[in-house]
Amino acid sequence: MIDQSERLAIIALVLILIGLPIAIFGYQYGLRPALAGVRTIDIIAAAPEDGGFQPDAIEVQKGETVRLRFSVPDVTHGVAIAGLGVDLGHIDPGQVKEVEVTFDQPGKVTFYCNAWCSPNHWRMRGTITIIDPADPDAHRRIEAAPDPVIESLIEREMDIDAPHDAAISPNEPVSAAEGGPLVENYRADLPVDFFDPLWLQRQSPAEAFSVLKETLPNLTDAQRWNIIAHLWTDSLAESELTWAQTEYIKNCAACHGETGNGDGPAAAAINAQLATTAMNNDKVASFAPASPTMGATTEIYYAKLRRGGMGTSMPGFGDIFDTEETWRLAHYIWRLTFAPAKPSPQ
Amino acid sequence: MTDSVPKRSGLNSLFQPRAKGVLLVSLALLIIAVVAVPWPLQPSAPTTRRFTMVSRQFEFEPNTIQVNQGDTVIITLTADDVVHGFFLDGYGVKMRVEPGQSQTVQFVADKSGKFRYRCSVSCGTMHPFMLGELVVGPNTTFGRAVALIGVVAIGVTVYLWKFPLREPGESTTEVRSKK
Repeated sequence: MIDQSERLAIIALVLILIGLPIAIFGYQYGLRPALAGVRTIDIIAAAPEDGGFQPDAIEVQKGETVRLRFSVPDVTHGVAIAGLGVDLGHIDPGQVKEVEVTFDQPGKVTFYCNAWCSPNHWRMRGTITIIDPADPDAHRRIEAAPDPVIESLIEREMDIDAPHDAAISPNEPVSAAEGGPLVENYRADLPVDFFDPLWLQRQSPAEAFSVLKETLPNLTDAQRWNIIAHLWTDSLAESELTWAQTEYIKNCAACHGETGNGDGPAAAAINAQLATTAMNNDKVASFAPASPTMGATTEIYYAKLRRGGMGTSMPGFGDIFDTEETWRLAHYIWRLTFAPAKPSPQ
Repeated sequence: MTDSVPKRSGLNSLFQPRAKGVLLVSLALLIIAVVAVPWPLQPSAPTTRRFTMVSRQFEFEPNTIQVNQGDTVIITLTADDVVHGFFLDGYGVKMRVEPGQSQTVQFVADKSGKFRYRCSVSCGTMHPFMLGELVVGPNTTFGRAVALIGVVAIGVTVYLWKFPLREPGESTTEVRSKK
């Protein structure tokens, strides 16, 4: 015979064993999404060695609004969504940041970590595929569109990954500032090509130097380099420059260094790793005015930024920066070569 | 012994009463000077001191920095692996540093003492132990201690040489035993 108190005890036990889980999971998976109004996707942002973004592939419908909640278990990460102007900034362990996004265009967008978090930092990416229910293949067509600049390089049989060391490079410091007045003085004598943006982005400084040597034989070598430095760094407006500088620091400086000398904190480990590979004895690129940079062209930089450097540690940023942004960064590299920003006075 | 006694008594009669007092007073003054007088080694003009500090899992390098009170301290912090922070107790100086993006902070070290600086951004398992120390003020305690020991040692030696506690054959016990 079960007496009163035993019956109470059984009811309490049943409540704890069944009622408590129902309450917790019911809140998490039932009540909470219902109250939120929009679909909420919880994403754990861990270092790539520990799984990266989980989940890293998300599918949404065109026109759908989703709430993305990012939490971090290990070290500080940053989260940004390419092409949407969403940058949540740093997320520290224990912190949760969320953003509500509406996707209007079918396609694929990449969300990525923008705070250096591990040697594999650049692998920390995820994708959001936006599917148009009316046209289920729309996002695939956009994805497959080739890059015209890279196509053009391939057409001209340019090897993007070949070493591009130039035979000549400046022996003394180059000044883009001194090049400005020189360009004005010799504007009439300079070849027309020198003012053609397309020509400029396809020429290396060393090639332009050879041209200058023929057309302006009375100039000194230093003056010729200064003219080139001016022309190669003159293409960015002030706002573009600020943008490029910020993105360079965030995405590139960990390897290539704050001033572009290839001495970022992650460079040593990568160089050590590259030294052990049989295929390539290369190092993290330095943008200092030396033979490799004098033989480089802006379009090569563009191509490497966009699709990465094959056989090197250079990741592709094609999912993160659009073509215009990639051009900006490619042009910004010449700033590091020819007109490095002076360290801010303290 | 008969030779030494008149010599000593001659010396004693000439210098002892005053000399003993002078010696003791000057010794006491020297000890006070060593312990209390502001150290002349203290730099008169505060200077600017720059430090380049690297933060990595799970240490700061250097993990001890030393400045004088009143100095302007400029710390340029870089991170080697992940995002780190810097928080200086007592001064409340705070930074956040990301690999590839060095940060600089400037402050005047107007408080003397030892101050811990620690990583203020959770950076991994050993994060709570990522510490360093800022020492503000000249380290005169050690110098004073060395000088004090020196002064006392020399003073005691001179005192004992001049005024031995007991001379062989002159001590009271010996005198007593003789009588």
